[in-house]
Amino acid sequence: MTKKRETESFLPLTPAMFHILLALADGEKHGYAILKEVARRTEDKVRLSAGTLYGNLSRLESAGLIAESDVRPDLVLDDERRRYYLLTEFGREVAVAEAQRMEEALGQARAKKLFRKPRLA
Amino acid sequence: MGKETLPFSQRLFRALVRVLPFDFRTNYEGEMEGVFRDQQREVDERGGVMGALKLWKETIVGIFTTAPREHWQILTSDCDYAFRMMRKNLGFTVVAVLTLALGIGANTAIFSVVHSVLLRPLPYPQGQQLIFIRQQEKKLGIEDWGFSVKEIEDYRAQNRSLAGLVEYHAMSFTLFGHGDPERVRTGVVSANYFDLFGVQPLLGRTFLPDDEKLGAPPVLLLSYEYWKNNFGSDPGIVGKTFEMNDKVHTVVGVLPPVPQYPNENDVYMATSACPYRSNKMHLEDRDMRMMEVFGRLKPGVTVAQANADVSTIAAGLKAAYPKSYPENVGFTSAVSPLQEELTHAARPTLLLLLGAAAFVLLIACANVANLTLARMARRERELAVRSALGAGRSRILRQLLTESFLLAIVGGILGLMLAYGSLELLTDFMGRLTPRAREIHIDSGVLLFTLAAALGTSIVFGTLSALFSRANLSSSLKEGSSGAGSSYQQNRMRSALIVCQIAFSFVLLIGAGLMLRSLIKMQQVDAGIVPQRVLAMRTAFNWSKYTTSDKTRVVIQKLLDRVKSQPGVLSAAISSRYPFEPEMITGGPESVSFSFQIEGRRLEPGQAPPVSTYAAVSPDYFKTLGIPLKAGRMLSETDSDDLKAPQVVLINEEAKRRFWPNEDPLGKRVSADGGEHWAAIVGIVGDVREFGLDHAPSPEFYGPQAQGPQPGNLIIRTAVEPQSMAQALTRAIHEVDSQTAVTHILTLEQARYESMASPRVTASLLGIFAALALVIATAGIGGIMALMVSQRVREIGIRIALGARPASILQMVLGQGMVLAVLGVGIGIAGAVALTGLVKSLLFEVPPTDVLTFSGVGLTLLAAAALASYLPARRAAAVDPNVALRAD
Repeated sequence: MTKKRETESFLPLTPAMFHILLALADGEKHGYAILKEVARRTEDKVRLSAGTLYGNLSRLESAGLIAESDVRPDLVLDDERRRYYLLTEFGREVAVAEAQRMEEALGQARAKKLFRKPRLA
Repeated sequence: MGKETLPFSQRLFRALVRVLPFDFRTNYEGEMEGVFRDQQREVDERGGVMGALKLWKETIVGIFTTAPREHWQILTSDCDYAFRMMRKNLGFTVVAVLTLALGIGANTAIFSVVHSVLLRPLPYPQGQQLIFIRQQEKKLGIEDWGFSVKEIEDYRAQNRSLAGLVEYHAMSFTLFGHGDPERVRTGVVSANYFDLFGVQPLLGRTFLPDDEKLGAPPVLLLSYEYWKNNFGSDPGIVGKTFEMNDKVHTVVGVLPPVPQYPNENDVYMATSACPYRSNKMHLEDRDMRMMEVFGRLKPGVTVAQANADVSTIAAGLKAAYPKSYPENVGFTSAVSPLQEELTHAARPTLLLLLGAAAFVLLIACANVANLTLARMARRERELAVRSALGAGRSRILRQLLTESFLLAIVGGILGLMLAYGSLELLTDFMGRLTPRAREIHIDSGVLLFTLAAALGTSIVFGTLSALFSRANLSSSLKEGSSGAGSSYQQNRMRSALIVCQIAFSFVLLIGAGLMLRSLIKMQQVDAGIVPQRVLAMRTAFNWSKYTTSDKTRVVIQKLLDRVKSQPGVLSAAISSRYPFEPEMITGGPESVSFSFQIEGRRLEPGQAPPVSTYAAVSPDYFKTLGIPLKAGRMLSETDSDDLKAPQVVLINEEAKRRFWPNEDPLGKRVSADGGEHWAAIVGIVGDVREFGLDHAPSPEFYGPQAQGPQPGNLIIRTAVEPQSMAQALTRAIHEVDSQTAVTHILTLEQARYESMASPRVTASLLGIFAALALVIATAGIGGIMALMVSQRVREIGIRIALGARPASILQMVLGQGMVLAVLGVGIGIAGAVALTGLVKSLLFEVPPTDVLTFSGVGLTLLAAAALASYLPARRAAAVDPNVALRAD
């Protein structure tokens, strides 16, 4: 109950936050990789700069939605100074809650027949 | 990648990142640079200027949107934390906030006065162009001779530096047609008076040039306050008529609520409507001076240029009319800015008070810094833990500054409320020093000052405490729980702060003490009269009924007879003025001075003629006031206007000393009109401090009312409490002439008390500040001694266990407190001696290094310090070694 409320206190997430969480959903990434992934997946609609990226990371980290990872996937190839971030369990719950919120909204839009059905030939 | 090869874009990025909070940068700067480098590499690979521009735009916008959010977050969390700490240490918070509130409040209050009176421009458009012109008789010491109608015409025609020149004089007339006959304070002014000041009427119009023509139908302007209070802000007032001076006056307008200078008036009339100003004598006689003159400088003209201009005119007048401007009086004229004219009397007092308030704030600062230091000792571990958990040093500094700023802001708000609450009192006080007092209010300038005071204060004591945390953070984790290792250094710092507080308090107390001593001295001065049970009433006849001296003489006699027949009246007199009359206190002797010649004495060429003050009195004046006869005889009923009766005067002892030091003045004759009429000196009376207890008696001539009626005040000695007779006496006066206005009913004791208003105001305000300082400093000593004792409980316990007697422990702690107090007093003495110049001009018969004051204040402070140290000392003496050694 309290946990749910805690989760909900983050909703709605800003698009930048949501996409950062999403980018970390399939594994740890460093900052630049997150930025690239978000740009690729949103077809450049959500563009992060160094400032906004780390502003968001800082807030997500202090809220416990993400954490710094000590695992380095490829120590040889990797730049030593780069830190990797991972999605925490709590972060995953928040992301799921946000996705559900969106889904509900989408469902309601559908029920109101907001989208016109494509006519079959 | 070496630092020296860092490309320009990276350096620029690094510069941009600096707007982010320090901690944020420490955490992410390296990575951000990495990301930016990667982004740039990608853009470079793709090529194209647009891509690079877009990257820069996004980067700059990103940093500048992130920075405020990050700073805000730190601020809120710091405030949050600070509030929690304030609640947790409620005792500390309350004491610190109250101390700051007193310091900031005192400063805000005094600053609001300084700001409104000295700093703000006059509330008229281009107020800095307004000037006051005066004619002077330098050699006679007369600074303001006034202007006659002829002179005003000359200055108006001849000046080249003024855009306008207007005249003013104040009169008191009786207004009929609105209930009872009412005495109204009337400003008699030039038609363009209000245009010159830039005042637009609230209703109707101001005066027109036609209103000033001789014989024009008389018109009136009402002041805003008079219209509001006496006519209930009647919007239909314009066009109403009243009778004044036997003529119908029509109201043509109402003034807006602007401050009125030089006096507050109920109504204004144009010069032609004033029966005095428009009589032939005043219009034609160059020597009938009673007007004040204001001007407005032409744009671009300086006061110095205007000064040169008017003194050229004065020189011209002197050459053209040698009889009116004798060579030997040092006639000239000068210009001063109106603002200066209205405020110069208040300036020294205000600056002194501002200085005193600043001292109070400094003492408050030192005290709060001390309290903070004491608390830091207890917080060192907490801060060290925070630091160990990763809070950067600047982060902790920021936290501490936030805490002190919050304290100061809360103190500031409380101080502002204190200042606001004291405004009415201050306005009342200042009203005795400057006509601008009614403008005193708290505006954005004052708020800004308060904010700056709070900010400055918090920086002073916040930095002090933060410096300490810096010095001790690393060590305190290793130390024992009470942070004993650093206590020596800290105590030294705290002791220094205490010494400062005592020194500052000493200086303030000296200031207040000197003012008080001088006030007491003033009260002890023999004024030369017996003021108990004497009532003064200003009586003004309806002058249009008493057009000749004869008629006036008759009514004066009737009035005196009627008043003297009242039960309870011991004696009564009528006079042109009386000792301590408020107008005389403000005007000074020069307002009633005249120059004269002594029969048989010739002046050297260029030598100034003798000057004395003059009062017209009825024979019983001296008996009524208790002024003793020293030689010759008093005035009597036989000194009449009868042509056969010789003209006579009395002089006071000071006049004898000044003008006949080695001969008997009795029988000598003097003339005030160039030898046309001579009056013989028939008696010498005692000196009276007419113009204030701090004014040495000036030479004085008393002439009989019968030989030159100048009624003004009725002076009555009564057998009972005089105010209780005021009503009956007013009735008696009205039985003689119902159109006589009776105002300004005052006992002579009240007048005497009021005459000391200015030094009393200064002494009381300084006294309040000094008392605040004493309380804060004493609490400071007590606080630090208590802290030192609590830090040294173990040591004291050991001493006692080793056989030290409680008395010697008591003595030791008391001694330490006293060492600080003595040091503070010593520095204070040096400071007070250095600052004596500030108060010198405000003192009366007390030297600024008055031994009695210095020793009294020193003893008071030492006694307060002893008392404050005694309580902790007693606690130290009562330490139980068993408990002390087992603790910790």
